[in-house]
Amino acid sequence: MKLEQLAERVQSRTPLRLLVRWVAGIRASVHTKLLAAFLIVTSLFVAMALVSLQTIVSATHQSQLLDEAHEMVSLAQEGEHALARQMHYTDLALLSQDEVAIAKILRENNRFNDRLAKVEAAGTAERGLVEQIRSSQDEAMAVVADMANAIRDGKLGSVTGGLLRRQERLDTEITTHVGRLVTAQQDRMTRLRESVTAANRRSLILTGAFAVSAVIFALFCGFVISWSFILPVREAQGFLDKVAAGSFGGHISVPNRDEFGALAERMNHMSRELERFDIEQRHAAAELGRLNQQLAQTSKAKSEFLANMSHELRTPMNAILGFTEMVLDGLYGDVPTELKEPVADIQVNGRHLLRLINDVLDLSKIEAGRMDLALGEYSVREVVDIAYISLRSLAVEKGLNFVINVHDDLTVAYGDNGRLTQCLMNLAGNPIKFTKQGRVEIGVELVGSELIYRVSDSGIGIPKEELENVFAEFRQVDATVTREFGGTGLGLSITKKFVEMHDGRIWVESEIGKGCTFFFAVPLRTKGDSA
Amino acid sequence: MSKQTILYIEDNEYNRKIVRQLVGRTSYRLIEAIDGESGVALAQQELPNLILMDVQLPKMSGLDATRVLKADPRTGHIPIIVITSFALSGDREKASAAGANSYLAKPYSPRELLALVREFLPES
Repeated sequence: MKLEQLAERVQSRTPLRLLVRWVAGIRASVHTKLLAAFLIVTSLFVAMALVSLQTIVSATHQSQLLDEAHEMVSLAQEGEHALARQMHYTDLALLSQDEVAIAKILRENNRFNDRLAKVEAAGTAERGLVEQIRSSQDEAMAVVADMANAIRDGKLGSVTGGLLRRQERLDTEITTHVGRLVTAQQDRMTRLRESVTAANRRSLILTGAFAVSAVIFALFCGFVISWSFILPVREAQGFLDKVAAGSFGGHISVPNRDEFGALAERMNHMSRELERFDIEQRHAAAELGRLNQQLAQTSKAKSEFLANMSHELRTPMNAILGFTEMVLDGLYGDVPTELKEPVADIQVNGRHLLRLINDVLDLSKIEAGRMDLALGEYSVREVVDIAYISLRSLAVEKGLNFVINVHDDLTVAYGDNGRLTQCLMNLAGNPIKFTKQGRVEIGVELVGSELIYRVSDSGIGIPKEELENVFAEFRQVDATVTREFGGTGLGLSITKKFVEMHDGRIWVESEIGKGCTFFFAVPLRTKGDSA
Repeated sequence: MSKQTILYIEDNEYNRKIVRQLVGRTSYRLIEAIDGESGVALAQQELPNLILMDVQLPKMSGLDATRVLKADPRTGHIPIIVITSFALSGDREKASAAGANSYLAKPYSPRELLALVREFLPES
């Protein structure tokens, strides 16, 4: 995490930022960019290897030169030793007058000449110095020749002094020259060694510096290229987060002119489209809201209209039914026999019209959402009894076997007893009207925490394909039945709505020719927030 | 002992006629008013034994009239039966909140109305 934060800070607060954006802006694919970065880093390491190799080769060469210089020093020193012995034998020859010593002088002289020649051949010695040594040695050899002649002639004693002086002068001269030669070779070797040491140090520094800068450059390349990819990805993340949070219409701006750039362009396109859809959708929602409000207003107006209509319709109905009842009750005197039937017909039809008005108003109130249940404790037995008593006279009139079947353990439930009674009357009213003979039964059972009310008859039954339609408004199995028996066609759909308002369900089972049974199940204790 | 008086406040002519003919066969005395304001004035003047109050009335609604009469110490004790043709839920609650002693929904059966009247005001 900390490393990432550091990288973030470096990226955002240094001129590297410009470089990152420049790399991102290069018109090339991600693939090409990665390949180029890889090749740059690879070639850096190849170059580093070449530099190291070159350093090794150069060090080997220097070491050879040093070896050679060292050999020259050895040769010069050997020459010096040979010269010293040559001098020694010369002195010995003078003292011992022995020819054996002469031979040894010659041998050492040969050895000296050999070393000198090698040093000279290497070209490392000062030419003038070598010439001087050679001429001095020639002179020394001339002395030795004289000495040898004198020994052979036995006249050494007379020349010894002269030879000794010449010899001593030459000794000093040659020794000095050879000493200079040796010193020169040693100096050369020392200089060479110093220069090799310096060159090695330089190589080491150069290689090290190269290696360090190659690593730094590789890291730098990696840093720049990776950030040129990270930046657009981050932008995209931010953008997608906003989209996910429901804010459309954002725009992402990336310097990339590679796949990331293309991706960003597509996202921007998507964003514009999303915004367009969003705006359209908002407009549609606003329009819907407006329409909904209008509908609500219309619905309210409808409810108010219904309330007024309720009053307007019931006032004359009150007069019609009131006067009819008073006529039939003999309030205006005895009713002539021939008038009794038409007046009773007026009463039946008036009541039917009133039922129709009540049903239409109930349904409208339910649909306007203005029907509230009056919830409370009620006696199940009483609900069934009221429905039974209200319908009994009609059933008896038709000669039907109308019975109720309620278990004694059913006592108190919670719901709207008035509406449940209405439901039972709607369900039982139809079979009593439509069944021409046989049996109609109202029953209640408690199953779990559900009260199941049941109305069954032994009538003609309902065809299977009509079963799902029986609860729809203004539907009756046979439209002519309505005219014959005077149903409103609204009872079942109102019943269904009341049952649903009790969180219950309603259904019907039927077999053609054997009758049908309507059920509705409501919770023993209806949970309602309205009373 | 003077006749027991019933005040019927109702704007519809035919409904007044029904009650008039119904009560005409009994020992009650009927007085009538056709709007809320005159109904209240008549009640305060005549101090009837029972008031039948329609809800939908011109000038002052039946519920407002009920409230006024119930708040008046001279008329507060008189039983009031509110008659409504408004079938919206809460009517019964509104009527009892206004102080009505009973409630009858239109259309009513004249027989039931008379039975309710006799419940409050037994015929002497």
